[in-house]
Amino acid sequence: MGLSPAVEIRDLEKGFRSGWPRRRVQPALRGVTFSVPRGAVLAILGPNGAGKTTLLSILATLLLPDRGSARVLGHDVVREPHRVRERVNMSSGNANFLWSLTPREILDIFARLAGVTGRVRRARVEALLDRLELRGHAEVLYSELSTGLKQRLALAKALVNEPELLILDEPTVGLDPDVSVRIRAQIAALRRERGTTILLSTHYMREAEELADEIIFLRDGRILARGDPDSLKRQIKVGDRVSLLLADPAAWERLRALPGVLACASRDGRVECVVDDARKRLPDLLRHLHEAGVEIHDLRVTEPDLEAVFLELAR
Amino acid sequence: MTGTAAREWTKVSAFIRKNWLMARRNIFTVFEVVFWPTVGIFSVGLLTRFVGLGPETTAFILIGTLALSIIQVCQLDVAYAILFEMWAKGIKHQFLAPVGLWHLALGSWLMGILRGLAVFALAAGLAWWGFGFDFFRPGPAALAAFLLGLFLNAVVIGLGVSTLLLLFGLRAEVSAWSAVSLILLLAGIYYPVSLLPAPVAAVAAGIPLTYFLDAFRAHYGFAPVFEAALVKGFATSLVYLALTYGALGAALTHARRRGTLLRLSE
Repeated sequence: MGLSPAVEIRDLEKGFRSGWPRRRVQPALRGVTFSVPRGAVLAILGPNGAGKTTLLSILATLLLPDRGSARVLGHDVVREPHRVRERVNMSSGNANFLWSLTPREILDIFARLAGVTGRVRRARVEALLDRLELRGHAEVLYSELSTGLKQRLALAKALVNEPELLILDEPTVGLDPDVSVRIRAQIAALRRERGTTILLSTHYMREAEELADEIIFLRDGRILARGDPDSLKRQIKVGDRVSLLLADPAAWERLRALPGVLACASRDGRVECVVDDARKRLPDLLRHLHEAGVEIHDLRVTEPDLEAVFLELAR
Repeated sequence: MTGTAAREWTKVSAFIRKNWLMARRNIFTVFEVVFWPTVGIFSVGLLTRFVGLGPETTAFILIGTLALSIIQVCQLDVAYAILFEMWAKGIKHQFLAPVGLWHLALGSWLMGILRGLAVFALAAGLAWWGFGFDFFRPGPAALAAFLLGLFLNAVVIGLGVSTLLLLFGLRAEVSAWSAVSLILLLAGIYYPVSLLPAPVAAVAAGIPLTYFLDAFRAHYGFAPVFEAALVKGFATSLVYLALTYGALGAALTHARRRGTLLRLSE
């Protein structure tokens, strides 16, 4: 019998009550269903308020769902939360720890909370300090650490129990690019070295494209799209961009009527068109301009990035 | 120690270590363990001299003062298990870990007992030096029973405060410092419960501390008010312990349902 998926969610719903006496319910998740195979990296994208943190928090057993079911590594998050917590850990952006403790002490305490004993714990703490490049700051009080160091410490904390499922809620938010690159490298290494299943929520499209096997778009508590980065771009059809520098800038107006041209505009002396499929439409576009005697000085074709997909879905 | 026992003890030790490290590096803990107990013993002791109280009445009041100081410090440690994390806005990380409430309660209580014993040592020393009062007169068994009773009262109060914190967030922070004051009014810290109006005296009979004070004061010449005071004290303590532990568990479930752990974190 094969192993169960790392995550199995079915019709998950969660709302938050507000107002007096708690009559208004603000839905955060509305019937979310998906599963994640073991060893995969799933990125969850969506605008603020989409339900990303709610979803991840339910899987981490910090929140109880209202309806539906969620299983992590074969354990129900409501009925077997302790088993889930033994095998899962979570790191969030802007994590906070006790101000008077040092990174070594913080890691030691969380390793103790995970039940890691004696020599194994001491060795693991030292290994994490090295791995996340914290050794030089191991004795500095938490309140005196930079944002980048705090974020590396948050990731180190999430690794103290060598989790089989690692949940990362915006792990690189607010970080300098060089620090973000290092953290992403650590995340990729975890998957490579240990086969850790990783759920990652992020606002950074590059991060999702770099790290994720699959991406889910959430909006208003619902999954709008799911797939690997390339298939998502095809699914959502945000189009390829064709950028032309023409001898006759006014010639762009002719292009708008061509089949497959979704939009066309003149911008800073260039003609920017969006076509449904550049491979299919570019020959017609070029032929049309040639027949009209319009010289082309420059041509660039750009495939849509995830940001364009995100913007389209978030509209 | 077997593997499972070692793992469970390690989880308990996390709370001891955390409270210990925080106590070492934060000035307010010095006030809790040294300043307030010293002020309490001397101010109350000198007051008894000023109003010309006899040795038995002085003993009555100093025992109450000591009890208050020890309970306050010990219950704060239990509450700190939640309160420190709330102040740091990082409470969710603690509850991500595979720990039960009993690890939290036991570990923080053990640290509270250590600090409570430090308060006892200081207060007993000051009472002997300043007023010739001997807290060891009843003997080790009676003293140990009294101290254990105080520590049980403290963990009950600390769990109650922690419950309020999880239910109401930092709005309930004031309860960490005022809950013991309520006990002060009702449990006979500075006066016998017989002085209270009858309905209030009935409430006092429901507070475990009342019995432990009664039993300990009997060793200093005060006729006990309650029969089998120690038995009643321990019995009521265990009942309250079960109730507050259950309440804390319910409050944590409520916090998970309402998203409180996330709201109180980053």
